[in-house]
Amino acid sequence: MADEIAVAEPTILDTFIELLPEIGKAAGETGLMMVICLTAAIIVGGALGILVFLTSQGQVLGRYRRFNLVANGFINVFRSFPFIILLVAVSPFTRHIVGTSIGPLAASVPLSLAAIFYFARLIEQTLRDVPRGVIEAAEAMGASPLQVVSQVLLVEARSGLILAVTITAVSFLSYSAVAGVVGGGGIGDLAIRYGYYRFQTDVMLITIVLLVILVQSIQFFGQWLARRVDKR
Amino acid sequence: MIRPVQTAHNTQNSAFPRMTTQTSDAPAIALRGVSKSFRTPDGQQVGVQPTHLDVAPGEIHGIIGFSGAGKSTLLRIANLLERPDAGQVIVHGQDLMTLSPAALRTARQRIGMIFQHFNLLHNRTVADNVAFPLRIAGADEARIAERVKTCLEFVGLSEKAGVYPAQLSGGQKQRVAIARALAPEPHVLLADEPTSALDPRTTQSLLEVLADVNRRLGVTILLVSHEMGVIRRLCHRVSVMEAGQIVERLTIANGRIPPDSQLAQWLRDFGDAEGDEAGTDDTEAAPQHLLSEAAHG
Repeated sequence: MADEIAVAEPTILDTFIELLPEIGKAAGETGLMMVICLTAAIIVGGALGILVFLTSQGQVLGRYRRFNLVANGFINVFRSFPFIILLVAVSPFTRHIVGTSIGPLAASVPLSLAAIFYFARLIEQTLRDVPRGVIEAAEAMGASPLQVVSQVLLVEARSGLILAVTITAVSFLSYSAVAGVVGGGGIGDLAIRYGYYRFQTDVMLITIVLLVILVQSIQFFGQWLARRVDKR
Repeated sequence: MIRPVQTAHNTQNSAFPRMTTQTSDAPAIALRGVSKSFRTPDGQQVGVQPTHLDVAPGEIHGIIGFSGAGKSTLLRIANLLERPDAGQVIVHGQDLMTLSPAALRTARQRIGMIFQHFNLLHNRTVADNVAFPLRIAGADEARIAERVKTCLEFVGLSEKAGVYPAQLSGGQKQRVAIARALAPEPHVLLADEPTSALDPRTTQSLLEVLADVNRRLGVTILLVSHEMGVIRRLCHRVSVMEAGQIVERLTIANGRIPPDSQLAQWLRDFGDAEGDEAGTDDTEAAPQHLLSEAAHG
């Protein structure tokens, strides 16, 4: 009996332990890509989303209609690209700024680009939930456009903004797996390389379970935080 | 650094003395030939025809009319939330139309405004809502704390300083909005249907607060309402609007509408929009009491 167990196929736990260094490396790569692309999305995409919102019709900077049209078109164009095509299309640009077009750092460039426009659109829509009357009240009290943004929009929409970051994080965790085609690495790439291409179902399972846990945690934490700051 | 409110106050005071310090015939608000046209999606022309309106310092001036008569537009022209197509908007001697955006923001800090739907910041406490206009103006924290305390006391909500607006009733929300409007010590207060979202009893107590703002603080009030009861109980003078024009200007003495006026005729024809006072010649005790409190002069 005991002998039989000893020669048995390695269990999924054995595979997991064996794969641990690989998983650790992949988690680090995923972390790097996520930090870079989320930071870019929040700073650049956030600013772009706010500007598009402010310049939309009937808003504080509604007179800058031309900017609104151009920025909107820009967002739509970038959001139209299938991610894998964007990945390849921007590779000369990537090489220009990172020095190489492979690896997690290189993959962060197209990821960031996609995340910026994705997040900008989300933010623009989230800000629409702030009642016009509240913005108007701030204007009537003498608030400048910058104060309207920092004191009214970001405060009143804060739970929606947190949810927008949450959705972006989950989406781009998934996108980052595609970055494997340029050697981006990461957990998703691990699933594809070992699990899918090498038919190692147990490896695929492990990585997918990891991704599920990751997504659940992001979602749970995001929603918890959003609820906590919402006093409406 | 933005100038603290106190400084802005002083400079404005020297240029435009408040009516309490110097009796003057200059109106607190003067709209001169202002017009504004909108086109509704079905091509109808609405808005405000070239209109004059003078609001004397210290008075409570009502604007009444049916929906779509342009009364809210006219009110919103007074602080340029609505920029008129033509005309002058003079508030305390300053033509707002000629101001730079920055100067307009400074001028607006001295023009309070309250709204039908209160428009409080829901993610800020009552105290932070009242502090809001002062923070925007860059006032120092000591002054902010003092003003928040004073203004919340004035509207009787001191004990609610730390709660969020969602926990307040409609009447309390409007009181917070009034405290917020009073925080920067405005010369004038614009009130856009301030009681239309409130029940009659809450309306009554809110009108007392507004009468107090006028009587005790000397703030000029320009108020829009479609409720005749509100106009009669609170206002010293009333402008009646129809199709974007002021068609009648009346003085309301002791809550009475002059019986030979068009407004009185309307009331006989249609009754009050709210149905609470259909006639013009009744003598209700409560409104009379309130009005005697509110009467200026």
